[in-house]
Amino acid sequence: MSSAWQDSPPADDYTVDELMISVLASTLSDGDQACNGMASFLPVAAFMLAQRTHAPNLVWLAGAAGLSPRPAKVPASTLEAPLWRDSVMYVEQYGDFWTYALNGRWLEKFCVGAAQLDRYGNANNSVIGDFHAPKVRLPGTAGLGDMGSIGKRLYFWNPNHSPRSLVPKVDFVSCAGYLGGGDERARLGLEGGPELVITNLAVLDFEPESKHMRIRSVHPGVTVEQVQEATGFELLLPDGEVPETPRPTQEQVRLIREEIDPDGMRKREFRR
Amino acid sequence: MTDKVRSLEEAAALVSDGDVVALQNMATQAAPMALVRELIRQGRRGLGLVCLVGGMAVDWLAAAGAIDRFIGAAVTMEQFGLCQQYRRGVEAGRIRVEELSETALNARLGAGARNLPFLPTRGLIGTDLIDINDNLVVIDDPFGGPPVVACRALVPDVALVHAHRADRNGNVQVEPTILWPDIGIMPKAARRVVVTVEEIVDEEVLRRNPDRTILPGFAVDAVVEVPYGAHPTSFHPYYGYDAHMHREWARAATDDAAAAEFLDRYVRKPASQTEYLDAVGGADAILRTVSWETA
Repeated sequence: MSSAWQDSPPADDYTVDELMISVLASTLSDGDQACNGMASFLPVAAFMLAQRTHAPNLVWLAGAAGLSPRPAKVPASTLEAPLWRDSVMYVEQYGDFWTYALNGRWLEKFCVGAAQLDRYGNANNSVIGDFHAPKVRLPGTAGLGDMGSIGKRLYFWNPNHSPRSLVPKVDFVSCAGYLGGGDERARLGLEGGPELVITNLAVLDFEPESKHMRIRSVHPGVTVEQVQEATGFELLLPDGEVPETPRPTQEQVRLIREEIDPDGMRKREFRR
Repeated sequence: MTDKVRSLEEAAALVSDGDVVALQNMATQAAPMALVRELIRQGRRGLGLVCLVGGMAVDWLAAAGAIDRFIGAAVTMEQFGLCQQYRRGVEAGRIRVEELSETALNARLGAGARNLPFLPTRGLIGTDLIDINDNLVVIDDPFGGPPVVACRALVPDVALVHAHRADRNGNVQVEPTILWPDIGIMPKAARRVVVTVEEIVDEEVLRRNPDRTILPGFAVDAVVEVPYGAHPTSFHPYYGYDAHMHREWARAATDDAAAAEFLDRYVRKPASQTEYLDAVGGADAILRTVSWETA
């Protein structure tokens, strides 16, 4: 664990992936349990950063397979063995992982990547178009279809904020958000739900009454208008002036570049 | 004791046209690829695949026209991208998809394994995945709690898995342990079970570490020795995924003719595992793929 992170000033030299990692890391508390799925470079880097700074007791279940691993750095796959090297325990998916996830006492937060996300935080990784005759067949829901319905607090990350990925209504709900908004989710007996959406332009949250997506902060150098233009529906605004997303600190940037992800895997998620 | 050792040809013959086939495969990990190649060589048709997360195996079978339905949670080669031949098959209406969340697939297989009509899950409530699927029904909790989703039992005709070692009686060991439901529950749910292994060993070897034996011989119909049988997927801790071949396939799969050519070269032409290993650069090259951390 680094001690320099607390006093480190905001960085001038940083990239948006590093900013997104620092925001994701800030959502984790010391003592949380976190797990990651496939192609999750930003969450994995955020877990590794949180452990090295404010959350040394964050327990990480890597790839939902290896407990408290010691990967040398972010590897090319966030599901394969190099991620879970030197684990203290292997966790079996069928009986173990889903038992811990479903139980309710552990793994309270989950990071979600989604092809489409709508104004009420419903996510789609299944199809574009009709389910039975899709225009595009996407990979599939995997564990998200569960995570949206079992009380988890969901943190979405989206490296390519656009009207195609942030849509008024998803073509297909493969992960339950706030459904039609308001109390519709609560009426089904579902706890938890979407908390934040962290994109390459802004941090978004959900207005408590309507459950409609709202701007929480815009990244340095980005305007509210740019965020709105890149979104497929009208975003709510917070009361007062829209805050600026805090920049990562110099020490956070150093840790990401030198220790956590020297190979730059985190950049793979961004459209070039 | 019954000798369960079979050739790849004999074992693949336990899969019939039209069967529902539970296939081990976690994205780029641990698929019984030698069996997959043999099924393609034998020209199997009309298969339904069951995978937690299917990868290249699903795409090869889709390219060969061997499958017409998929039951599972996802199909992807993770950092190597979507499975394009599978995707085209679905978009063209040749492959029907029953998409399940992970707990729903686990529940369907768990019910099949235990001879139950269904098992419930709390996942999926509120999603559209329930509406498109006759095998999922929201039911009231008989004890008064919130509703749950009943997931109908799934009994695949055959399970195909790859493991580290087995004895001639079909007792199967993995090392280090069971990670995915593929080998944990699929073989228990399926009517027939075919296991390829890196090596067939004397029973005495299993007796040294019985805690690593995860399938009893009585539940296994055929066991086949196929060194590097999961290549080009990874097989922890023996070898990593073949990044070069995944990329080569990902490129070929975007074009039907290139995909067919790829299958001719690596699947149809090599008549044995030895010839296949020669075609992909030899066993030494596979062992060198431990550089997979950055590939």
